Amino acid sequence: MKFFSQSFLYDDPWSIVSLAFFLRYPNPYASHVISCDVISRIQTPSGSLLTTRLILKRGNMPKWFPQGIVSRAESWVVEESEVDPHGKVVHCRTRNLDHVKVMQVEESVSFCQTPEGKTLQHTEARIVSGFGWGLTKRIENHGLTRFKANVQRSREGVSLILSLLRQSRLQPMTLGAPPASHDDNSVSHNENDGLTRPKRGAWTKFTSWFMPPPAS
Amino acid sequence: MSASVSPECTPLKHEYDSCFNAWFEGYLEPAVAASASSKEREAYSTKKAEEFQQKCGKIWESYRLCVQKAVKEKGLDKLLQQAREEHPLTEPPPNPTQPGQSS
Repeated sequence: MKFFSQSFLYDDPWSIVSLAFFLRYPNPYASHVISCDVISRIQTPSGSLLTTRLILKRGNMPKWFPQGIVSRAESWVVEESEVDPHGKVVHCRTRNLDHVKVMQVEESVSFCQTPEGKTLQHTEARIVSGFGWGLTKRIENHGLTRFKANVQRSREGVSLILSLLRQSRLQPMTLGAPPASHDDNSVSHNENDGLTRPKRGAWTKFTSWFMPPPAS
Repeated sequence: MSASVSPECTPLKHEYDSCFNAWFEGYLEPAVAASASSKEREAYSTKKAEEFQQKCGKIWESYRLCVQKAVKEKGLDKLLQQAREEHPLTEPPPNPTQPGQSS
């Protein structure tokens, strides 16, 4: 078994970092994500949000790995998260569902607000192979090396989303969005877009950068 | 927004994601004081859950049913069930220095 642990401090407040974390797919650093679905999502009586997502990721087997054992280099990953907006904590656990004999990677990430209003990310991972054939160590080492590189890429992805969110909150005008007919903080709703666009928050502006406004 | 596991669910997923994300942004910044009692927080959370239901309830139901069907067809439901039974997420992530992690 290999173990990995790392902490990282974001200067931004917890709510925006957490939003960026949940919006992280797609981003240019995560081109290996083929699909991502919410399987279940419930709000507990105390107000926490529990989410299970099912993600399909593309991977590459190393050249030295015996051929014909893993037929496709894709892996199903389940991600379970808990968001507590009152305590300002996100816990998120991820692990692969298939190829578990070859290698099981279990990752835990948490985001907590610090007293200074910053956000502390803590990542832990356990990498276990039950493969045998004298390859267990090599597989685990390979997994750890890959995981380290991926943690870096994943953080770059979150940082990219974060900077886009930051910009969209600063700028009153949006790129490629329909002309705003009311202020961002206005409480008046246009009845027609009240359902899908309830609030012109950062998310709405953010998404209009990537996608053309919906045809009505 | 990334694709769904099944192409036929992707439009539903995009509509759901848009609705959820707009709601979620507000959810992450609850409009209750840090000193609020747990009762006040619960009341706020109930209101927030109702707001979600009202705004995104319908699209969530359509999307959820679509994915559920796709997951069953691909035989992933058993894999998921098994994974959940083995490690439900009920407490903060395990700390390797705690006992019981002997592997």
